[in-house]
Amino acid sequence: MNRRTFLISAGFAGCAREQRPRLNVYNWSAYIAPETVPGFEREFGVRVRYATYESNEEMLAKVFSGNSGWDVVFPTHSRLEAMRSYGVLAPLRHEWLPGLGNLAPDFQRPAWDPRLELGVPYMWNATGIVYNKAVTPVPAGWADLWRPQLRGRLTMLDDPEDMLGACLKKLRLSFNSDVAQDLRRAEREAILQKPLLRAYLNAEVRDQMVAGDVLAAQLWSTTAQQAMDAAPHLAFAYPAEGFPLYCDCAAILRESRRQRLAHQFVDYLLRPRISAGIAQSMRTATANGAAQSLLPEAVRQNPALYPPREVFGRGEWARAPSPAAQRLRDRIWTEIKAA
Amino acid sequence: MRLRFWFLLPTWVSMAALFAAPFLIVIAYSCLSRGVYGGIEAPWTAENYLRLFDPLYLTILLRSVFIASLATLLCFLSAFPAALFISRARHKNFYLQLVMLPFWTSFLVRTYAWIFLLRDTGLINTALEALGIIHSPLPLLYNDGAVLLGLVYGYLPFMVLPIYATLERLDPALFEAAADLGAGPAATVFRVIAPLSRPGIAAGSILVFIPCLGAYLTPDLLGGGRTVLIGNLVQNQFTTARDWPFGSAVSILLMALVTLVVWQYLRRADEPGL
Amino acid sequence: MRRWLGVYTAAFFGFLHVPLITLSVFSFNSSRFTVWEHFSLEWYRTVFRDPQLIEGLWNSIVIAFAATAISVVMGTLCAYGLWKQKSRLLTGGLYLSLVTPEIVTGVSLLALFQWTFRWFGWQLGLYTVILAHVAFLMAYVVIVIAARFSTLPPSLEEAALDLGATEWDAFLHVMVPALAPGILAAALLALTVSFDDYVITSMVAGVDSETLPMVIYAMARRGASPAINAISALTTVFFGILIIVAARVRER
Repeated sequence: MNRRTFLISAGFAGCAREQRPRLNVYNWSAYIAPETVPGFEREFGVRVRYATYESNEEMLAKVFSGNSGWDVVFPTHSRLEAMRSYGVLAPLRHEWLPGLGNLAPDFQRPAWDPRLELGVPYMWNATGIVYNKAVTPVPAGWADLWRPQLRGRLTMLDDPEDMLGACLKKLRLSFNSDVAQDLRRAEREAILQKPLLRAYLNAEVRDQMVAGDVLAAQLWSTTAQQAMDAAPHLAFAYPAEGFPLYCDCAAILRESRRQRLAHQFVDYLLRPRISAGIAQSMRTATANGAAQSLLPEAVRQNPALYPPREVFGRGEWARAPSPAAQRLRDRIWTEIKAA
Repeated sequence: MRLRFWFLLPTWVSMAALFAAPFLIVIAYSCLSRGVYGGIEAPWTAENYLRLFDPLYLTILLRSVFIASLATLLCFLSAFPAALFISRARHKNFYLQLVMLPFWTSFLVRTYAWIFLLRDTGLINTALEALGIIHSPLPLLYNDGAVLLGLVYGYLPFMVLPIYATLERLDPALFEAAADLGAGPAATVFRVIAPLSRPGIAAGSILVFIPCLGAYLTPDLLGGGRTVLIGNLVQNQFTTARDWPFGSAVSILLMALVTLVVWQYLRRADEPGL
Repeated sequence: MRRWLGVYTAAFFGFLHVPLITLSVFSFNSSRFTVWEHFSLEWYRTVFRDPQLIEGLWNSIVIAFAATAISVVMGTLCAYGLWKQKSRLLTGGLYLSLVTPEIVTGVSLLALFQWTFRWFGWQLGLYTVILAHVAFLMAYVVIVIAARFSTLPPSLEEAALDLGATEWDAFLHVMVPALAPGILAAALLALTVSFDDYVITSMVAGVDSETLPMVIYAMARRGASPAINAISALTTVFFGILIIVAARVRER
C-alpha cells in the first residue's frame, strides 16, 4: 500500500461518518469473518462501526452505564442475567428475528434464557487444556496441571472464573460452586499451583504454545484451535473431571436508538451461510444448527471444536455466582495474586 | 483587572469540571455500598475504608511502595553517573536529546520492546543459545525483575533530567577545589557533588516514584499477572470485580499517599515550584 | 575516572536505545520469530491493510490535535493569568492533577461521565476522550508555558501598555509572540502525551474512539506480532521527525 492509498483510507475513516445510518457493534476480538460486516453494509446500505474487546468485564464496564453508544454486544450467557437486572438489555423481538429457527436444538431453549428474550446464542466454547504432544503422559485432566515437571512451562488463564473453576473441578466440585468452603479449598489448590506457573495469560499464550515455550496451558477451545492450526505439535484435551461451557450471545442494548437495524444485524448473523463463514474462518463453534450442517465434514468432526456427545456431557454451563459468592471469589482472586 | 479573571476562567472551569468534580464523585462512591451486581447503592458506609486495613490489602500496598522505591533507587543509581557525564560533556544538548528520544515513543511500545527481548524466544535468549552459553531459555519474563526493569526503563529520563539540571549549575571550580584539598575522584563525587545535587535527586525521585507507585500496565504486561500492585488492584476493582466503592477507596488511598509524598517534598524543597 | 564515566554512559545509552533499535530492525524480518530470515516489508503491509489500526491511528490523531489545541489555548491564557496574579489554589490543583496516578484519573473521569451523562442522555465517544485528555494535559501545558513566562522581563508588557495597547492587545501581539517557543514546546509535549496515553483513554473510550495505543495493547494481549514492531518503528520515526522539525523551528 502506498502513501496515497493510506491517506485516502485514513481520510475515509474520518469523513465517511454520519452519512448512512450507522450501527455500532462491539464484539470479542477474532470473532467475525472479514467479509461479514462489509456484506451487511452492502446489503442494508448502512455503515457498521465495529470494535472489539478482550473480556466481558471490559465490555460491561462501558455498557452498564447505559450510555456507552453501542447497539449490539456479545456477552457470555452467564452475564446476561446481570445485564437484564441492570436494565441495559432490550428484549428481543422475535418477529424481527425469523432466523431463530436455525439455532441448534440445544440453543433453542437454553437453561439460562429459556425463551430467548435476552440474547441470541452466537458461538460457544469450552475451557480445557492445550498441550504440547511432547508432554508425556498426555495431560487428560485438570489434576495434570499440578505436575511438577511442568514447572515454568505452564500457564493458567488470567480470569478468576476459569482459574478458580479449574481448581474446583480438580477437587471434583461444581464449577459454579457458591459454597465458601469449596471456594477456600480451591484457593489452596491455586496457591499450591502458583509456584509451577510461568504466568497467568489469556490469548497471549497462543504464540508461546506455538513457539514451544509453554508446554501446557489452560485455554478456551476456540483460541486453542487457532494455536493448533498454526502448530501441529499441539493438541487439546477436554479435562476428565469436567469443564465449563460458555455461549457468547448477541444482545441488543436498551440504549440503542436503532432497534430495528440491530435486530436486522442479529438476524443476518443467524443466516446459515454467514454463521458458517464466521465459524470456518475464525475456527469457532457455532450455535447455529443450520450453519453447522453447511460446514465440511472435517470441521464438524473436529474433536476440539465439536466434541463428541459423551465428552460434551461432562461440560457444565457456567452460571453467575450468588452476590455473596461473587464477593468471596473476588477476594480469593486477589489473595491468589498476592500470594 | 477584570481581564485576568477571563484569562483564568477556562482553566478554573476545566479544573472544576474535569478534576475536582470527578474526584468528589470518587470520594462519594468510596463511602457508598456495592450493589448486588456491582452497582453503587445506599447506605453510606465506612466499610470500604475499614477494608483497607485488611492485611491482604496492606501487603499489596507495602509491596507497591517497596517496588516503587526499589525502581526509584535503581533509576537513581543508573542515572546519576550518566547525568554527571553529560553535565561535563561538550555536546550537552545532543546527549540530552539522546536521553529524551525513547521517551517520545509510546510507553506501550517501550514496554513491548522488553517483552520482545526477554521472552523465551526473545532476542536475549536466542542470542545466548546461539552462543552456546545456555541450553534452555532463561525465565526472564513474567517476574518481579522484569517488572522492575520495565519501570526503570520507562521512567529513567525523569531521573536524568533534574539531576543534570542541578549538576550543570555547579561551579566547575568546585571540582578543582576538592582536588586541591586532596580529595580523590570518588571522594569528590560522594562528598561534594552528590550532596550538592540533592535538589535534583529529590525532584527526580519524586518524578519516578509517583508513576511507579500507580503503575498498572508494566506489572500487567511484564509481570504476567503473577503479582498485584496497587494500580492493578484499582483497575481490577473497577473492571473484573466491579466493586466501584472499594476501588474508589483504594484510589483515594493512593491519591492520599501521592499527595503526602509531594507535600513532604515541597515543604523541604527550596524552590516552591511555580 | 573520567574514562570510566564515559564507558558507563555509553552503556547507559545502549540500555536506553538498544531495545527500540532491535524492535525496529526486526520489523523488517520476514519471519514471525526472532531468528533473522531476510529483509521484508510484509509487516508494514499488514499494518497498512489493517482497518482497525488505520482507524485507531486516525482517532489518535484527531484526539491528540483537538486536545492539544484546546489545552494550549486555555493553558496559555492560564499561564498569563497566573503570571500576573498568583493563585495558590489553582497552581496547587494543577500540580495535583499532574501527580495523580493515571489509573485514578481514568476511573474518576469514567465515574464522572457515567454519572453526569445519564442526566443528559449523552454517550461516551470521541469527545469524552478529548475532554479527558484536556483534563490531564492542562497541567503539562501550563507548567511549560509558565516556565517560559518566568524568563520574560516584566517590562515587556508594561512597555506595550505604556504605548497605549489594551491588556488584551498586549497579550495577543506582544506576549504571545514572545512566548511562542514555550507554546510550541508545550504543544509538542501535549501532542506526544496525548498520542501515547492508554490507561485513561481506555477507561473513557466509547464508540468511535478506539485509539492507536488501545489497538496496540489489544494486539499485544493477543500475542506477539511483528506488526507491533512495525507500528513501533513507525511511531518512533514519526515522533523523531516531529522533534527535529520542532527544534529547527525553535532555532529560527
